[in-house]
Amino acid sequence: MTDSALAVNTAQTMAAPLADTKITVRNLHFYYNGFHALKGINMDIPEKKVTAIIGPSGCGKSTLLRIFNRIYAIYPKLEAKGDIVLDGENILDPGYSMNRLRSKVGMVFQKPVPFPMTIFENVAYGIRHHEKLSKSDMEGRVEQALRSAALWDEVKDKLKQNALGLSGGQQQRLCIARAIALKPEVLLLDEPTSALDPIATSRIEQLVEELKSEFTIVIVTHNMQQAARCSDLTAFMYMGELIEFDNTEKIFTKPGKKQTEDYITGRFG
Amino acid sequence: MSAQPGTLAPPRVVEQRTHRDARQEQLFRWLLKGCALLVLASLLGAAGATLWGGREAFAKFGWHFLVSTAWDPGNDVYGALVPVYGTIVTSLIALLIAVPVSFGIALYLSEVAPTWLRTPVSSAIELLAGIPSIIYGMWGLFVFAPFFSEHIKPWLTSNLGNKPDDGKLSWVVQHVPFVGKLFGSDYPFGASILVAGIVLAIMIIPFISSVMREVFQTVPTRLKESAYALGSSTWEVSWDIVLPYTRSAVIGGIFLGLGRALGETMAVAFIIGNSMTFSASLLDPGTSIASTIANQFSEASGLQKSSLMALAFLLFVVTFIVLLIARLMLRQLKRKEGN
Amino acid sequence: MSSIYLRRRITNWLAMGFSALATLIGLTFLAWILWETLRQGISALNFKLFTGITANGDEGGLANAMVGSLIINFLGIAIATPIGVLAGTWLAEYANRTKLGETIRFLNDILLSAPSIVMGLFVYTIIVLPSTVLTHGSTSFSGFAGGVALALIALPVIVRTTDEMLRLVPSTLREAALSLGVPQWKLTMQILIRAARSGIITGVLLALARISGETAPLLFTAFGNNYMTLNPIDKMSSLPQIIYQYANDPGDTAHAMAWAGAFVVTMFVLLLSLGSRLVFSRNKVSHD
Repeated sequence: MTDSALAVNTAQTMAAPLADTKITVRNLHFYYNGFHALKGINMDIPEKKVTAIIGPSGCGKSTLLRIFNRIYAIYPKLEAKGDIVLDGENILDPGYSMNRLRSKVGMVFQKPVPFPMTIFENVAYGIRHHEKLSKSDMEGRVEQALRSAALWDEVKDKLKQNALGLSGGQQQRLCIARAIALKPEVLLLDEPTSALDPIATSRIEQLVEELKSEFTIVIVTHNMQQAARCSDLTAFMYMGELIEFDNTEKIFTKPGKKQTEDYITGRFG
Repeated sequence: MSAQPGTLAPPRVVEQRTHRDARQEQLFRWLLKGCALLVLASLLGAAGATLWGGREAFAKFGWHFLVSTAWDPGNDVYGALVPVYGTIVTSLIALLIAVPVSFGIALYLSEVAPTWLRTPVSSAIELLAGIPSIIYGMWGLFVFAPFFSEHIKPWLTSNLGNKPDDGKLSWVVQHVPFVGKLFGSDYPFGASILVAGIVLAIMIIPFISSVMREVFQTVPTRLKESAYALGSSTWEVSWDIVLPYTRSAVIGGIFLGLGRALGETMAVAFIIGNSMTFSASLLDPGTSIASTIANQFSEASGLQKSSLMALAFLLFVVTFIVLLIARLMLRQLKRKEGN
Repeated sequence: MSSIYLRRRITNWLAMGFSALATLIGLTFLAWILWETLRQGISALNFKLFTGITANGDEGGLANAMVGSLIINFLGIAIATPIGVLAGTWLAEYANRTKLGETIRFLNDILLSAPSIVMGLFVYTIIVLPSTVLTHGSTSFSGFAGGVALALIALPVIVRTTDEMLRLVPSTLREAALSLGVPQWKLTMQILIRAARSGIITGVLLALARISGETAPLLFTAFGNNYMTLNPIDKMSSLPQIIYQYANDPGDTAHAMAWAGAFVVTMFVLLLSLGSRLVFSRNKVSHD
């Protein structure tokens, strides 16, 4: 239902992607201030699966994630070359509308960043920019998003309170609710639990598990156990290159590359 | 939630929204930029307006305007020297007093005082900066000038002045040149260039000391600690390590205070005596550029008004240059901090 | 050897003593000024001060000047706040690290301490003179012109605090909003300014404190008016201007009234700066 005829055409000109591929990355290079941060990344991210990207800090994993919704473009002197094909269209094409991209690709950041407004408004704010809804429709949408983010029961009595009053874990789930309220197809999670305690972390991981039935999820994490626990596929990156990309189980039990093995077993420099 | 992903709105609607967003964004940018340019405009406007207002005076008197002590509305002849002299001398007196005192305060608050005392004392000093200048003027006129003329001035005139009451010149006046002229006065009241300078000093102390204190705190602790480790005393660390390290910013702070002192109007207008007659003595009344304008502008017309505008232009240009130097000096420290 | 130590120790003691003395001098003058303002001001306070007008001289009060001050200050802040906040926003969000942005930020810092009397003459030239010519003299000096002059003095204060406060807002907040597809102008107006709100309010309060005591720029703009007026295109008096006038008057009653006015202005300004500190410290807590 999402693939138009045109989209299929464009996609087929690329190296044949897998049948259920959501995002195809081809020969992606990234530079900031002349520094070559990503060196020819190729990967196919499958639909409605959790793909984890791991690697030592500075390997370019967050950089890669931040290209998927072009959030990098708000800073000067950053440049991406190559193709990222989402549903058959290249999102790096300047003609690809930012509104469209950002309503299709949601993102959750390292630290929870609630907006300085009420809990309800935090979720409604993004929706309002894309759709005009009646008051009751909006309330329904907000509730739905909060339920999906497993936050509804905790906040349903204080929707009018400032979101800054929530705990760190609740704030992060609010940010997830805010992102999925736009009904995106892809959800990017940039180390979403690095600022949270273990209990809050396990709730988020559980949530990721639940959400993958509806969204294509890409999660960047520095925590290998997390990748092993909640992802279907794992990509290992090192020094701006994609070293290995395979089923999570395989990566963690029989890695194909020496570097991956060294990293997984903690023997890494 | 059977969301239908990607079907939020048909592409055409998305495109329209994108166009609308881009248009609004462009408008918003122009609005913001326009407001920022107003800041620039007020600076250029102030310079332009005073230059334009002073054009007749500049045209009529030329460079002579700067060096003439005449201020004679009767004959329509005007010169800037008396107010310029008053402005410069009051500001220099203010610096002479304020710089060491501010340095002492900054030193006390950053190195000497017990920690619990630092916040209340520094807030109190900063309170001084918040007092409106007209209050300084009132206090100077009704409290300090009478106090000065009763307790300090007699001592100054008889020991350092060339016009002592009993006619006997002191040893200092006889042996050190200029001192007698600076402190000689038979003017009976307190209002004078010196009192204006002292009041200005009190006004700028909080500015200079807070800048100094701020920059002293930027000195890396390891630098101070290694000096203390060599057995240096607090004073030696401050004088040999902290001050050289922060030199440019300290000078910047001093220039900031100077800029304030040069442009101050009300405090000076109350207590400088507003005399347009030139006198070298610090104990005689004088005038400054700002107080001359404050006193005369409403009643002036023609060439006199133009001369006042010309004075304002001079003041604006000079304070601009002083403040420019101050900010450049202060910026150097910021760079150092950044590294 | 020991004489070197002794000399160094004496130098140190002298220096420490000097720094304590300098602080004491500063505090003494602060106490002296505040004490005189309180003593002379409070003893001159009476009910008539708030009801009578200056046209009645010794028998009157300062009501017209107080009302005038309120109106002129309000105009000044009302003009400077939107312009200053938007200009500061431009510096922080759109022009950070551009050449024009850096230049304007730098010149704005200079304007912070530019002589206020020159700003008064500027407004005299661009508002008072033209309105005199255009209305054939029926309108010249006005409360509005005074408000514009004060706005020019408040502007750099507001620009600077807005700029600084917005630059303290973490960039993650920007990214979070942009990742929802919210355009930058909405992000700026609805999220960033809200996040920096109490810092910006602090700046506005500081600007108000700054202009409340200003006299020089009002002398040739609002001019003064011995009668009560609420019309901003009339000549209008203000507390600082009346204080200046009364202090230069030979009469003792006028002096007492000037002290009372000085007391009112000082209290207003000090309370404002205290209030702005409170707003700001609360802000800090809520954002940590």
